Amino acid sequence: MALPGQQAVDYPNFKLVIVGDGGTGKTTFVKRHLTGEFEKKYEPTIGVEVHPLDFFTNCGKIRFYCWDTAGQEKFGGLRDGYYIHGQCAIIMFDVTARLTYKNVPTWHRDLCRVCENIPIVLCGNKVDVKNRQVKAKQVTFHRKKNLQYYEISAKSNYNFEKPFLYLARKLAGDANLHFVESPALAPPEVQIDMAAQQQHEQELAAAASQPLPDDDDDTFE
Amino acid sequence: MASNEPDHREEDDAPAAEDEDTGAQIAPIVQLEEVAVSTGEEDEDPILDMKAKLYRFDKDGNQWKERGAGTVKFLKHKETAKVRLLMRQSKTLKICANHLVLPNMTVQEHAGSEKSCVWHATDFADGELKKELFCIRFGSIENCRTFMETFQEVAESQTNNVENQDATATAGLLENLSVEEEENKVKKGEEAPAAASEEKETKSVAPKDEKDTETEPEKKD
Repeated sequence: MALPGQQAVDYPNFKLVIVGDGGTGKTTFVKRHLTGEFEKKYEPTIGVEVHPLDFFTNCGKIRFYCWDTAGQEKFGGLRDGYYIHGQCAIIMFDVTARLTYKNVPTWHRDLCRVCENIPIVLCGNKVDVKNRQVKAKQVTFHRKKNLQYYEISAKSNYNFEKPFLYLARKLAGDANLHFVESPALAPPEVQIDMAAQQQHEQELAAAASQPLPDDDDDTFE
Repeated sequence: MASNEPDHREEDDAPAAEDEDTGAQIAPIVQLEEVAVSTGEEDEDPILDMKAKLYRFDKDGNQWKERGAGTVKFLKHKETAKVRLLMRQSKTLKICANHLVLPNMTVQEHAGSEKSCVWHATDFADGELKKELFCIRFGSIENCRTFMETFQEVAESQTNNVENQDATATAGLLENLSVEEEENKVKKGEEAPAAASEEKETKSVAPKDEKDTETEPEKKD
C-alpha cells in the first residue's frame, strides 16, 4: 500500500481513509499523532495527503497509511480514487458544527460505494469545546450503519488513540490487542564541541523567552 | 447557532456506553500472533518518573510546539552508569524524547513559567539523531524543580563518569550515590514514581517490574 517513493515495510500495514467535512480536524488529528503538535491554523487540505503512522502492539508493529483527504468540495480532487483499496476508515465530524454531522451519511455512502465491508469509526471531534451543537445523545447514525463511535478531542487528546486501537483490533480480529511501549533504542554517543555548545546556549536563551502554546490545563493524560 | 440546546452539560454529553462496540462484524484481514515485547529499558534503573508535557522548538516558526504528554524518566544503565532521558506519550506509549544526559548539558527555567524548563539535546526519539530545543511543563512548580535538580545532578555525575577511565568501578560508586539521591527526590516529588516507591521497600529498583508496579494503586504513598 506504500506510495511510490515511500519505503514498503515488512510488517502489517493498512490503508486508512479519513473523510469528513472541511474544518472538522482530520489533518490536525493526523498531525497530532505524527509529531505531537496541535495545529490551530486552518489550512484546507488539497486533494489528499498520505502519512504513514506506526503503532506498537502486543502483536507487533503495525502501520496505517493515513489518507488524509480534502474535506472541502472545491479541493476534493479524485475522491473515489482515494478510497480504492481502503481497508479501514474514519469519518470525522465537528460536534460544534451541526452541518458536519448532517453530512456524515453522504460521506458514509460515498465511502461504502468503493469500500465494502471495511471497519469504520465515526469520530465526533472538538468535544473539548464548551458549546457543542451536537450532543452525544444526538449521535445515532453509527447505530443504524454499524459503525463504532468515539467522541474525541485532537486538542486535549481525549480518546485520541481509540480510533486506531479499534481499527487495529477489527483488522486483526483480536479484541485484546493493545498498544505496548515501543522499544527505546540506546541513543548513540554524540560529541559536542565548544562552539556548537555556545550556539545552543544562545538559541536556548532566545527560545526560553518564547511563550508556550496556550493551554493552561495541568492535567497530563 | 441552532439552539434548542442550551448549556453544555457533562451528563448529557456522556455517550451511553463509551466503549460499546456498535461496529459491524467484519472478517479480519490479517492474523497476528502475540509477540515478545521489549521496552528497551530492561537494563536500566529509573531515577525519576513524572507526568509532564513536552514541547520542541520550531526554529522556522520561532515557536514552541507540542511534542507529547506522558511520562518522563531518567534511566540509568546498570553497567555503564550512563543516564538517558526518555519520555513516552501516554496511551500510545510512543517515544517523544530519547537522549543521553551529557556532562555539558544545562537545564534552565522557562522565562514565562516556573513549571517549565528548557534544554538542548541531540535527540534520538525517531531513530535518527536530531538537534532539538526542548521545553517541559509539569503540573507543579515543585515537580519542575525536582526535575531540574535531578537533571543537573545527573549531568554532573556523568562528568565523573567520563573522567574516570575505570568505568565499571565508577558505575558501582555512582550507583550507591544515586540511590540516596533518588530517595530524596521521591520524598520531594508530588507524584511518587511507582518504581521509586518500590525502592523504599527494597532498596533497589527492578525495571522489569516497573510496568506492574505502575498499575498497582497502593504504590502511591
